[in-house]
Amino acid sequence: MNILETKGLYHDFKGLEVLFDVNLQVQEGERHAVIGPNGAGKTTLFNVITGTYRPRRGKVFFKGKEITGAKPHELARLGMGRSFQLTSTFNRLTTFQNIRLAILSKKKIRFNLLRKVDKMMDITKETDEVLKRINLEGERNFPAGVLSYGKHRSLEISMALATDPDLVMLDEPTAGMSRDETHYGVELIRRLTEGKTAVIIEHDMDVVFSLADRITVLHYGQILAEGAPSDIRQNQAVKDAYLGELEA
Amino acid sequence: MKNKKVQRISWVGLIVILALYPKIFGIYYTNFFVTFAIFAIYSVSFNLLLGYTALFSFGHAMFFGAGGYGTALALKHIQGLPLLPAVLIGLVSAVVLALILCPIVVRVTGSAFAMLHLAFGQLMYVLALKMRNITGGEDGIGGFPIPPFSIPGIVSIDMKAPENFYYFAIIVLGLSLWIMWFFTKTPFGQIQVGVRDNAMRIDYLGFKVPQTKAVVYVFAGAFAGISGSIFALFQNLIAADSGFGILVSFGAVINTLVGGLGSFFGPVCGAAIMQILEELTTRYTDRVELVAGLILILVIMFAPMGFVGGVRILKQKWLASSAPGGKLEKAS
Repeated sequence: MNILETKGLYHDFKGLEVLFDVNLQVQEGERHAVIGPNGAGKTTLFNVITGTYRPRRGKVFFKGKEITGAKPHELARLGMGRSFQLTSTFNRLTTFQNIRLAILSKKKIRFNLLRKVDKMMDITKETDEVLKRINLEGERNFPAGVLSYGKHRSLEISMALATDPDLVMLDEPTAGMSRDETHYGVELIRRLTEGKTAVIIEHDMDVVFSLADRITVLHYGQILAEGAPSDIRQNQAVKDAYLGELEA
Repeated sequence: MKNKKVQRISWVGLIVILALYPKIFGIYYTNFFVTFAIFAIYSVSFNLLLGYTALFSFGHAMFFGAGGYGTALALKHIQGLPLLPAVLIGLVSAVVLALILCPIVVRVTGSAFAMLHLAFGQLMYVLALKMRNITGGEDGIGGFPIPPFSIPGIVSIDMKAPENFYYFAIIVLGLSLWIMWFFTKTPFGQIQVGVRDNAMRIDYLGFKVPQTKAVVYVFAGAFAGISGSIFALFQNLIAADSGFGILVSFGAVINTLVGGLGSFFGPVCGAAIMQILEELTTRYTDRVELVAGLILILVIMFAPMGFVGGVRILKQKWLASSAPGGKLEKAS
């Protein structure tokens, strides 16, 4: 079953067409990578799906339900998580508090004004478990703003996953990471998305081919090809448009 | 364990000091303290918006005034209205005002929010001046009856005696302070500071940003209303300048910035500092605002995190220099 599907998606910025009849299909349980050269419209596609923009035309379906133009918090409540290309955490809160906000969201605790959050031991325990899984226990009480870049990125990705979404959209999770950090980041993503559905935008081809079950290639706002990593590697059109530049 | 004991002892100590305060310091400084407590609560309610949610309001006085006028009008027009319902009417007036405004104001941020509040605040001020037959214009509403604090059949305490009013005000304001403090510690309080740091991410985590802001806004308005209500009772007078005046709005800003907007008790310290300064200044000159403004400039230049922030930095420096680790670091 397709957990996420877009039908005839168009989007433009003041006449500049960015997405052009995009029909994306993501199956439940797969890691799906969206690749393509700069300006191909990958992030715009993400923004249209996750509710930052409303598409000019076309429809988006999530779990069989139409969600075109739904707001981010509505999508989050339906079970869609998202991380950002530019790290977007709560920088004055501690690492622990950052993750705890995600856990509160997962537990649907929103307007609770009757208990101290520090006294909710189940929340604290679950948050600490997440911190342990992502190796940030040592930075538990540091403000997120002072974390090193790689750790900050881990936090960014983990916050999207800590809400336990059915589908997680990762926008260039390893952007700006060093080689070692990328290696660690890939392992982290592999571990955290185990058994989940993930859509990943990625530039690093090593990351893409080691993580993705299926790949969609976006080129000038259109889908150029879609298939398993081995098919994409062999695809002549993709080689000409994109991969060729790298492997030459 | 030991820490808890120390905490308990200091709480008891604080309560004893507050209880004996009027006996020790006399009537003048008792009233001085009530004024401080009123503006401390008012400033803390302002800081819920500025420090905790990054909503900068230049018109917080409108809730203070609404509370004051609500209580004053109720006591003037309703015969035999008891004390607590009168305070409650002040609170409800401020809440109603906040509820009317919040659908508009929660959708704006930054300077638009500040300017919108400047406009609404001045509008309330002008309304209080112009609707003379209701608000008494410049003279305001004064001389309304101050009901005794009474539980029918059990006790009736005369509130015209300053000492009795002191206890009443301290209890109401202390309770307000505690409720606001608790508010910041709840899960909702966490979401609130999340909105301050990164509203977009809060949205993507599945929380509703405008609704969150609206709850904080109404809550802050309610406690500004309580402080205004107590103020009107305390002075037995509420007028346009003392209720809705621009200096009341700025007072909250100054108290919060001087005390430190990064902490819950910062505005309390700020209110204390500014009131003591005002007390000292008036002995030499009438230009109180000039001194207050100068202090604000100095604080922004040299201690941007205010009094509490400054103390924290000094404490860290002291800890670093006195700890053996710190000395080693210096030696190497």
